[in-house]
Amino acid sequence: MKKLASFSLLSLVLAFAFAVSARTTDADIPAPPIIGSTIADFSLPDASGASHSLASLRGKNGTVLIFIAVQCPVSNAYNERMEKLAQDYKARGVNVVGINANSTESAADVKDHASRNNLNFTILKDNGNKIADVLGATRTPEAYFLDASNKLLYHGRIDNSRDITQVNSSELRDALEATLAGKPVPKTTASAFGCSIKRPE
Amino acid sequence: MTNPGRRLIVGCVVCAVVVGGILLAFTAKAQRKTAHKPRASVARRTPFKAQAINAEEIQALLKPSGRRPLLVNYWATWCDPCRDEFPDLVKIDKEYRPKGLDFIAITLDDLADINTAVPKFLREMNARMPVYLLNVADPEPTINSIDSRWGGALPATFLYDNNGQVVYKHFGRVNTPELRAEIEKLVSSK
Repeated sequence: MKKLASFSLLSLVLAFAFAVSARTTDADIPAPPIIGSTIADFSLPDASGASHSLASLRGKNGTVLIFIAVQCPVSNAYNERMEKLAQDYKARGVNVVGINANSTESAADVKDHASRNNLNFTILKDNGNKIADVLGATRTPEAYFLDASNKLLYHGRIDNSRDITQVNSSELRDALEATLAGKPVPKTTASAFGCSIKRPE
Repeated sequence: MTNPGRRLIVGCVVCAVVVGGILLAFTAKAQRKTAHKPRASVARRTPFKAQAINAEEIQALLKPSGRRPLLVNYWATWCDPCRDEFPDLVKIDKEYRPKGLDFIAITLDDLADINTAVPKFLREMNARMPVYLLNVADPEPTINSIDSRWGGALPATFLYDNNGQVVYKHFGRVNTPELRAEIEKLVSSK
């Protein structure tokens, strides 16, 4: 009886210790979908208020979604690279779409920023982080490459460095090239430092 | 046994107890001193000066000391929420370092800013904690080794207990009362 009581007490203590052992406060940001899962269609307004569905933006060979920002210096360091990516792959059937999910940046800010930086690809405004939550996006820039059936093939950075002179691996382009050549994506995820997406408090 | 013989034995035992007691007291004091000493890697450096470190050096910095909890903040001068939370972290450093907390700040600024923007900001903040600049060509292995769920969003804050277990982490601007409560638990349980 005594043994049983001490065993129960020990179990209780252990369970409690386990429960409090790794407290985190990022639990409200869902984990990103696993590579290979299909992203359900969604609709978001662009900076002018016109609504676009993922289906309407999809290229015949797939779609690249990139979470971007107006203020973030890392995202801004990629403006030219993102525009070039959009131009390079448009003709090859992959459509690049920007998403601004920062609660601190308005649709007007997004529109003004795109015109000042010659960003000609569609930029959606994700009010309330609806799609950022679906995709588990946490930072800018952060890219997702979906194939023609919206299957997630790559998630992560555009390349290894915000300083273009230091770039020596371009995981996003590698994923696109492999897919267009009918080959598997060599590296399906890659991380880099970036600005956190500003979610409403 | 004769009386003087017995006295000698008793005398020896008393002596041994007294000497033993003194030695024990000294050892305990020495141990207490060690327990309160910050780890060598986070000892004070030139104020407001960040030291460039590579991927191996950051791993060494994050190794548990076994004695003191460790707070680590990843930031950059170009990151607005990082700048915004920094005064709170400076206060936490001042308040909890004497109570047994080690704190290191790791900046992701460019190496080119190590003698300009970084010390300028640290001086403005009157930040006295050790600051390191992570200088790596590819940040991915480091990000993943710190936390596979992180992804690299800044700021990011991690609190480790004496054994190197993460007891609290936060991505984005830190919630100061929440962080303080977690630190309080670690320093008061000592």
